[in-house]
Amino acid sequence: MHAGENPRHRSNGARPSRDYLTIEGVTKAFGDTKSLVGVDLRVAKGEIHALLGSNGSGKSTLIKILAGVYQADAGTLNMPSGEIDLTAHLPSDVRASGLHFVHQEPSVFPSLSVAENLQLQRDAGRNPLASVRRSALHERTRATLERFGVDAEPETLMLDLAPAARTTLMIARTLQDDEDSRDRILILDEPTATLEAADVRMLFDALRRYAAAGQTIIFVSHHLDEVMNLADRATVFRDGRNAGTLRREEFTESALSELIVGRPLATYFPSPGVRGDENPVLRASGLCGNCVDGVDLSVYAGEIVGLAGLVGSGHTELLRQIFGIENLEAGEVSVDGEALRLGAPHLAIAAGLAYIPADRYADGIFPDLSLEENLGIVSLHRYRRAFGLSRRAERAEASRDLERFGVVASSPAALVSSLSGGNQQKVIVARWLRRTPRILLLEDPTRGIDIGARSDLWTLIDQAVDEGAGVLMTSSDPEELARVCNRILVLHSGRITHELDGSSTSADDVTELIHRPTPVAA
Amino acid sequence: MIETRPKQRNADAEKRLSPRAVHSRGGEPGSSKVKKGRLAEVAEAYALVVLTIALLVFFWALPSTRDAFPTTDNLRIVAADQAVLLMISIAVLVPMVGGTWDFTPGATTGITAVFAATTVQSSGSIMVAILAAVGVGLAVGVVNGLLITKARINSVIATLGMTLVISGVVQWKTGGSTIVTGIPSGLVNFGADYTLSVPNLAWVGILTALVISFTLSRTIYGRRLYAVGANRAAARLVGLRNERLVFSTYLISGALCGIAGVLLLARTGTGNPAAGPAYILPAYAAVFLGASAITPGRWNVWGTVTAVVFLGILNNGLTLAGANSYVNSLVNGAALIGGVGIANALARRRGRTLEMT
Repeated sequence: MHAGENPRHRSNGARPSRDYLTIEGVTKAFGDTKSLVGVDLRVAKGEIHALLGSNGSGKSTLIKILAGVYQADAGTLNMPSGEIDLTAHLPSDVRASGLHFVHQEPSVFPSLSVAENLQLQRDAGRNPLASVRRSALHERTRATLERFGVDAEPETLMLDLAPAARTTLMIARTLQDDEDSRDRILILDEPTATLEAADVRMLFDALRRYAAAGQTIIFVSHHLDEVMNLADRATVFRDGRNAGTLRREEFTESALSELIVGRPLATYFPSPGVRGDENPVLRASGLCGNCVDGVDLSVYAGEIVGLAGLVGSGHTELLRQIFGIENLEAGEVSVDGEALRLGAPHLAIAAGLAYIPADRYADGIFPDLSLEENLGIVSLHRYRRAFGLSRRAERAEASRDLERFGVVASSPAALVSSLSGGNQQKVIVARWLRRTPRILLLEDPTRGIDIGARSDLWTLIDQAVDEGAGVLMTSSDPEELARVCNRILVLHSGRITHELDGSSTSADDVTELIHRPTPVAA
Repeated sequence: MIETRPKQRNADAEKRLSPRAVHSRGGEPGSSKVKKGRLAEVAEAYALVVLTIALLVFFWALPSTRDAFPTTDNLRIVAADQAVLLMISIAVLVPMVGGTWDFTPGATTGITAVFAATTVQSSGSIMVAILAAVGVGLAVGVVNGLLITKARINSVIATLGMTLVISGVVQWKTGGSTIVTGIPSGLVNFGADYTLSVPNLAWVGILTALVISFTLSRTIYGRRLYAVGANRAAARLVGLRNERLVFSTYLISGALCGIAGVLLLARTGTGNPAAGPAYILPAYAAVFLGASAITPGRWNVWGTVTAVVFLGILNNGLTLAGANSYVNSLVNGAALIGGVGIANALARRRGRTLEMT
C-alpha cells in the first residue's frame, strides 16, 4: 500500500497495527457548552496521526486535557506505562507520562537566549539555586542546534529567530535529552500556524525523521494538504464527537472536508466584476509611506481585488493606510469620486469604508461585550429612540443577523468570547455588512478559520459584492486569492509589479510571482 | 499600560455551544438545561443584593444591635454617609468603564470640599460654592485627561501623582487645618434634612446613579465607552475616538467629585482636608464588589450602589455591635480584596484572566 516513495514508512512495510496510545470516552463541558462528548483516539507506535476538525470541534480542548491544562469530566488515557485518569491529570503529571507538547502559542521566552530557553526545560525539577556553567551550557546548546538543523548561536535571542526556527527549537527543547529514545509521544498543536511554506517543509522533514526513529506524533492542523502530505492516519472531530478516522490511502480533500464539515462544501466563484466606463468606487493614487512606495489602484463596484505579496511588500500596510490607521507620507484616496481625508478611521467609515483586521482577537472583537453589542457598535444610531437606545430593537436585529449569517450562538446576549473563531469572524463581518459599505478592506479574512465557516463567510461577502460593494483584500493563502479574486495585484517592495486576471490565475502563479526575486514589469 | 480588561485567550475558541443549541432566541425553550443556566445567572446577579438584605435582617435581630440598628435615625445616618461614598464610587467607576484607572476622586472630593468652604465663606452664596466645587473638580479632570490621553502617561501613575499634587494644594490652601467657620446654615441644614423621609444627600446619590446608569447603558456614548474599555484596538478600528472618550470620563469623574465635595461639606459642616482622601479605597471596594452584581462581569452603577449599601450596613452594624473603629478598616480592606477576587473568579469561569498588575 505505501510504495517505498516515503522513507518514513518502514522498509518491511509493516503498518502500525497495535494501539500504543488509547484515549477513551473523553467528555468535557464548559458550563452549558459541551466541548467534547465521549471522544476516542487510538494511535499506533511510530505513527504520525493527524487530528482534524473545525474551530470548536473540540480538538484543542482534547490537547489541553492531555496537557493537564483542563481536567476532563470523564475519560482515560492508556499507554504502555499505565492508565491515566484524565479527570485528575495535572500539568505536573505530564512530564512523567511521556507526553511532550508543542503548543500553538509558542511558549518561549523571547527576551532570553536560545541557550537559556533550552536550559529552562532541562532544569525543571532541579535545585533552583544550582549554578549554571556557561561554557558547558553553550557547548550542549550548539550540539542540539546542530542536531536539529537550526541556524543560530547559543547567544541568539529567541525573538531574533525566524518563526520556523522557533518551532523547531521548541521541538528540540522537548526532545533534547533523549531524542534517541523510541517511546516518546510528541503532540503538536497547529505547529505550522505561523510558518511559511519553506519552513513547513523543513519541519515536516524533521517530523518524518522522528517518526522513522520510532517516535509517535499527534498533530493538530487546519490544512488538509499538510495532513495529506504527512499523516499516516487522520481522526476528525466534529461538534465534540468522533466523525471518523481515515487511513492514508483513503485521504482525499473531499473525503476529509466532508468529515470535518459534515456536508459537501459549496464552491464559490468570483462574480463578474462590473468594470469599464464606470467610475471606480475606490481610487488611490501615489500612496507612499511605510513599506508602500508609490501605489495607484482602483476598485470597481462588484469586484474583488486581491493584494498579494510577502511580508513587508506593503500589501497589508496599503489596506491600513487607506483606512487611516497607518500614516501616509503622500497620496490621495477617493471614494465614489469624493476625496477622503486620510488618517482618521471614523471619516473613512463615514465615507463607506469597512476594515476587517487579520487578528480578530486583538483587533476585532470586544471580548467582554455581548454578541448584540459587538454587532451594533458601528450602527448604534439605528436604535436611538426618544428615551435612549432601544434594547428591543437592537436584540431583534441581532437575532435576525445571527440567523442570516449562520452564527452559532445560544442567544444575542451571549458573550462574543464564548464563540468559536469562525463564528467571531462572522460577527465582525456581519457588523460591517449592516452598514452596506461601499468598500470592504479585508485583511486575511479567513486566517485560522475552518473550511465550513470560510465558505459561509465568502457567501456573505459575495452577497455584499453583488449589491455593489467593492472588495480590496489580502490573504496568506494564495489559493484563496486565486479562487475568489477578480483581479490580483502583486506587490514587491511597496510597488505593484503585476496585475493578474483572477479567472485565469492559479495559486501557483500567485505564489511564484510573490516569490520571484527580480520582478518583471507587468 | 495596565489593562483593566480581562485578557482574551485562544481557549475560548474551543468553547462554543453545540450547534444543536440553535442560535434562534433561546434554543429549545423550557428545556431544563436552559432554565437551570438562567436561574444560576439570576442567582449570581442578585447574590450581593440577597446578602445585603440578610445582613439587614441579621443586625435587626442581633441582640446587641437590636435596639440601635433598626431605628429611622440610624438608617438615615447610614444613607447620608453612604451618599458621599456612592458619589465617589461612581466617579471611580466611569473611567474604569473606559478601561483606565482614576485614583484621584478621594483627593478631588477633599479639595472641592475645601474650595466650596472657602468660597462660601467669602461669598456667602451656596450656588457660587457649588459652581466653584464643580469647577475645581472639572479642572482636576482636565489635567488627568490631558496627562493620560495627550502625554500618554499610565493612568495609575498619572492619577496617583495627581493625588499627591492635590493634597499639596490642599495643605497650601488650608495649612492643614479644618475650615469650621462661615458655613451657612442653609447648606448644613440641607445636609441634615430629608425629603419623603429619605435624607437629601441620599436623593442626590440616587439621582446621580440614575443619570450615570442611563448614560452608560442606554446612550450611544455609554455603549462606545464600554467598547473602548473592552478592546481599545478594536474600538479604534470601528471608528471610535478613544482619546476623546477617555478624556470625557475624567471630566465626568471630576464633576461628580465636585458635587461629592459639596455633599461632604453639607454633611459635616466643615471643610476638613482629611475627609475626602479616606474614601478612595472603600470606593474601589464598592466598584469591584459591584462588578459581581446586577450585570456580573461588567462595571456597573447598580452593582456599585448595592455594594455601597452593603458596606454601609456592615460597617454601621459592626460599630453598633461594639466593634472597635479599626474593624471598619478591616472590613473595607477585606471587601476590596474580596471584590477583586470575585471579579477574577468570574473572569476565570468565562475562560479568561483578569489582568490586574
